[in-house]
Amino acid sequence: MHSLRRLFLFIFSTLILLALSLKIEELRVYQGAQIAIYALGISSIVLLTGYSGQVSLGNGAFMAIGAYTAALTQIHWHLPLFFTFVVGTFSAALAGAILGGGAARLSGPYLAGATLALAVGLPTLANQFTILNGETGLDYTSGTPPTWFGESFTLYKWFFWIVLVNVMLMMFFVRNITSSRYGRTWKALRGNPVAAQLSGIQVGGSKVLAFTISAGVAGLAGSLLGMIGFVGPTGFGLGLSFALVTGAVLSGVTSLAGSMLGAVVLVAIPELASVIAHRLGDTERVTSNLPGLIMSTLLILTVLFTPNGPAEQIRKHKARKQ
Amino acid sequence: MQQAINALLIGISNGFIYSLMALALVLVWRSTRVINFAQAGQAILSTYIAYEIVTRTDNFILAFIGGVLAGALVGAVVEILLMRTLFKHVSDGPVAALAPVIASLGLLGLIRSVIGMVWGNDQKPFFPPVSTNGFTFGSTTVPFSRMNLLIVLGAATVMIIFTLIFQKSNLGLALRAAAFQPEIARLAGIRVGAIRTTGWIFAGAAGAVAGILISPNDAITPYSLDSLLIFGFVAAVIGGLESLIGAVVGGLTLGIGLSFILTYIGTSLIFPATFVVLALALIIRPQGLFGSKAARNA
Repeated sequence: MHSLRRLFLFIFSTLILLALSLKIEELRVYQGAQIAIYALGISSIVLLTGYSGQVSLGNGAFMAIGAYTAALTQIHWHLPLFFTFVVGTFSAALAGAILGGGAARLSGPYLAGATLALAVGLPTLANQFTILNGETGLDYTSGTPPTWFGESFTLYKWFFWIVLVNVMLMMFFVRNITSSRYGRTWKALRGNPVAAQLSGIQVGGSKVLAFTISAGVAGLAGSLLGMIGFVGPTGFGLGLSFALVTGAVLSGVTSLAGSMLGAVVLVAIPELASVIAHRLGDTERVTSNLPGLIMSTLLILTVLFTPNGPAEQIRKHKARKQ
Repeated sequence: MQQAINALLIGISNGFIYSLMALALVLVWRSTRVINFAQAGQAILSTYIAYEIVTRTDNFILAFIGGVLAGALVGAVVEILLMRTLFKHVSDGPVAALAPVIASLGLLGLIRSVIGMVWGNDQKPFFPPVSTNGFTFGSTTVPFSRMNLLIVLGAATVMIIFTLIFQKSNLGLALRAAAFQPEIARLAGIRVGAIRTTGWIFAGAAGAVAGILISPNDAITPYSLDSLLIFGFVAAVIGGLESLIGAVVGGLTLGIGLSFILTYIGTSLIFPATFVVLALALIIRPQGLFGSKAARNA
C-alpha cells in the first residue's frame, strides 16, 4: 500500500511538472532539465555515501562513461534514444561494478584518492582515441519533438520532458531500493560493519552492489546531460565530480529529497555569480572564476558548520526546542 | 640501450618531483590523518608567488625562497583556520568522517578560483633559471639538462633536511610521537596541536618546492598541478602513506615506471597507466611497500 501511494505521488508530481513546463519561459525550462539531471547525479552519491558509507569523488567519471557510450551507440548503431539511455546506464553500472570490486577493499581516504584519480584521468582519454573525437566531443541529439505536439512545443520543452520522465523513473527505482532490504543492509554497513557482518550481511557484495547501482544512476544522469548539452571532456571533468560532491554535501547526503535542494543550488550559483560579476564590472577573470569561488566557499562552510547538511541541522534545532 | 637510459633519466627527474608531492601528502597524513587534496592548490599558489617574484626581480633564488616560505605559511594558515575548526565541530554522521577530505577538496577549488581571479586562467610562462638543453656527451645528447640536475639536487636536499629533522632532532621525535600516539605524546608534555601545525608547515614547503621545480619545464595555469597531485597520491600509496622513505621510493618507482611506459608503449597511456599502478598497489600491497613496521623507523 505504502509503495503504491509512492508510485501515485511520483506519477502525479511528474504530470504536474510536465504541465508546468508548458507555462514557463524557455530558459527556465532548460534550467529545470538541468536541475533534474543534477538531482539524479547527486542522488547517485547519496545512495553511495549516505547509505553504504563509501565515498566517491569520481561520479562525474561514471557520468562521462554513460554519456559517451550513449552517444556512441546513437552514432554508430543508430539506436533509438531510449535504448541509448539504457546502454549508457548499464555500461556505467558495469564500470562501477569493476571499480566497486576494488573499492570494497578500500577505506575512506584511499577510496577518495582512487576515485579522484579516476575523475582527473578518465576525461583525458577523450584525446587519445579518435573514436571519442577529442575536445570537440560527440554529437548526441534528442531529435526534434514529434510534430503532433504542435508548433509551440520547442526543443527545450522536449528536452525537459525526456529528462523529467527518465529522472523520475530512476528516482522511483532509487527511492524504492533505498527503502528495501538492500537499503537497510547498506545503512547497517555504514553504521557498524562488524555488527552488520555478524548479522549475516555480506560486506563485500553489498558494497559492490551499492557502487554498481550508484554508477548506473550516474550513467543515466550523464547520458541526459550529454543530450541537453554536449558530450565532451570539458563538460565531464573534475568540475562535474566536484559539483556533484558539493550538491550532495549541501543536501545533507542522507536524504534523496534533499538532492533536489542541492541541484537547485548548483544551477542557481552560476546565475547568482553572473549577477555579482556584472556588478563588479564583468571582467573575464571574475566571470569565469566567480562560480567556482562561490561553490567552493559554500562547500567549505557547509562542511565546517553543518557537516550533515543544513536540513539535518534545522531538524536537530527543532528537536532541541521541543 | 640509449632509449632505455633516456627513459631512466627522465623518470628519475620526474620521480623526484612526485616524491616531493608524496612527501607533502604523507606529512599531512601522519600529523592529522587527512589526505590533503588542497596540496595541489597550496603548491600552485606558492608557484604563482614565486612566478610573481621572478618576473619582478628576475632572481630565481629569491623567488624560490619566497615561494617556499609562502607555501609553509599557507600550510600553517590552512591547518589553523580550517582543520582545527573542522575537528572542533566534529560530530558523527555519514559525512563527518569524510568532512576533512571534502573540506580539502573545497579548498582546492577555492585556491584555484582565487588564483584565476588574481592572475587569470591563461598560461603564464615560467622561465627556467638554468638551461633546459640536455647535456651532451661526445655526439649524443641525453634528455637531462641543468634544470633536471637542479630538480634532482633541490629535491634531494629537501629530503635530506627532512630526514635529518625527523631522525636527529627533538622536533622530529615529537612529530613522530604525535603521529603515532597523540594521547601519550600529550602526557609526555608534547604540544600535539602545535606539532600538527608544524607537520602542515613542512608539507606546505615540500609541495611548494615540487611546484616551483616542475613548473619551469612548462607554463603554469591554476590547474597545472592537478596531475602532480594524482601522481603524488599514487606515489604515497605505493610507499604506504605513513613512511617518508616510502614516499621517496614510491615517487621514484612511479616516475621511472611511467617514463618507461611512455617511451616504449605510448604517451596516450599516462593516466590509464597511473590508474592501473594505483589499483595494483592497492590490491597487492594495501599497506604499501614501507607500511606497517618500517613506518615507525622512518
